[in-house]
Amino acid sequence: MKTQFKFPQKSLGLITILMIALLACNPVFAQTETTASKTQTSQDITVKGTVSDENGPLLGASINLKNDKVGTVSDENGAFTFPKALKPGDVLVFSFLGYEMKEVKIQKNTTFLKVVLETDIVEILGALESNKPYKSKRSN
Amino acid sequence: MKLIRYIALFIVAFQSNAQISDFDDIDFQKADSIALACKNEGLDNLPQLSYKLTSNLDTDAERFRAIYMWVCTNITNDYGLYSKNMKKREKYRSDSLKLQVWNDAITKDIFRKLLKNKKTICTGYAYILKELSNLSNLNCEIIHGYGRTSTTNPDELNAPNHSWNAVELNGKWYLSDPTWASGLEDPVSKRRKFEYIKGFFLANPKLFAINHYPIDQKWTLLSIDQAPSFEAFMEAPVIYGKAYRNLTMHSAPKKMHNLINKYQKIKFQYQLLKPIVEDDIRLLIDDGIDSIKIQPSVVSIQDKFLTLEHQFNYSGFYDVHLFIGDDLVSTYTFKVKS
Repeated sequence: MKTQFKFPQKSLGLITILMIALLACNPVFAQTETTASKTQTSQDITVKGTVSDENGPLLGASINLKNDKVGTVSDENGAFTFPKALKPGDVLVFSFLGYEMKEVKIQKNTTFLKVVLETDIVEILGALESNKPYKSKRSN
Repeated sequence: MKLIRYIALFIVAFQSNAQISDFDDIDFQKADSIALACKNEGLDNLPQLSYKLTSNLDTDAERFRAIYMWVCTNITNDYGLYSKNMKKREKYRSDSLKLQVWNDAITKDIFRKLLKNKKTICTGYAYILKELSNLSNLNCEIIHGYGRTSTTNPDELNAPNHSWNAVELNGKWYLSDPTWASGLEDPVSKRRKFEYIKGFFLANPKLFAINHYPIDQKWTLLSIDQAPSFEAFMEAPVIYGKAYRNLTMHSAPKKMHNLINKYQKIKFQYQLLKPIVEDDIRLLIDDGIDSIKIQPSVVSIQDKFLTLEHQFNYSGFYDVHLFIGDDLVSTYTFKVKS
């Protein structure tokens, strides 16, 4: 057996480098992934806050994620913790019957919201439809 | 230039017909059944209510319909509050400061009652309809103005007394009156009776303008040459809720009070919502002592246009009521000279 497979000196160097590179590659991949998931958690924001009007805290104001059914109501101190983690760009709708609705866009650094609702100014009118026949007033 | 003129004409013609018939291809049954399914919902969380009513519907017209139907069938009228408010408003009519104080006080009262009992007066209906619509990204406004009915002393309306809504669907504005659609005052018990009248949903602006006059005239949604003046509105005949069940237009007589000569022939003209038979048409003529129901002497029904004629053969003063079937549609008075 004279003929043995012989690695050329040059290729050996190249293979070594490739293998080392492959080893190095793995941790790099893993790292990128962790970084990615880390950023995502940092973008999920738990939002707390208070809702009040000019007289103080509002009990029972609703706080809802716009165009979604997720929502909560404020407690007797006007405080709330939004039940779902939010992302920057999400919009919260604050509403209470008789107050002007308010929309707040969540920013990267939003964690606490202090919302003051203003009373809705409504002119109160009311006429009733009636099927009672009209009757002329007659002098005689 | 010619093209622009045609386009402008097209737009005008199109706008004047902003009414329910634009949505003939839509079956509102799904929207109505969603409204029915939400029957036990309260008003404490409007965003969620609005979401529940609209999230499964595909068009804006259906979304608005579900909200409108919910408001009409779930909100009830508070007659006590209504009459108290009207009395105070009349009392403070010339004192804007006191009126303001009263309005602020009753506003709080109204929202409290609305939240607790879902009871209100017309601004409450219009307000909830607007709020729920806005939450579903529909452009809806409250319109304040004058509503003429047989019992609000139609000859002397000196202050706005009614509120209704305008909604924008597919780029066009439409009129609806959720309060009047959901019932009427029972003359005996003075209580409100629930009776849904579908004609108040996306009503024909021309019919609507006969008993609704907005403070801001643009909300008649009629072009300047078509919109009545306030004087013409005040002189118009009284039409009833049931008119919206039978008519899409009321054309003649234009006036409530008419002075005519003996043997003069009077024309009554209407556009019908649905086909009717001649036998269903009656005029109830009241001379102050007796009233008789007659079938008008000439009737023609052509392509949903109804024309009636009546001749008064005796001088006197008459209240004349039009009935289609059991529905009281409109009232006029005639002073017949000898």
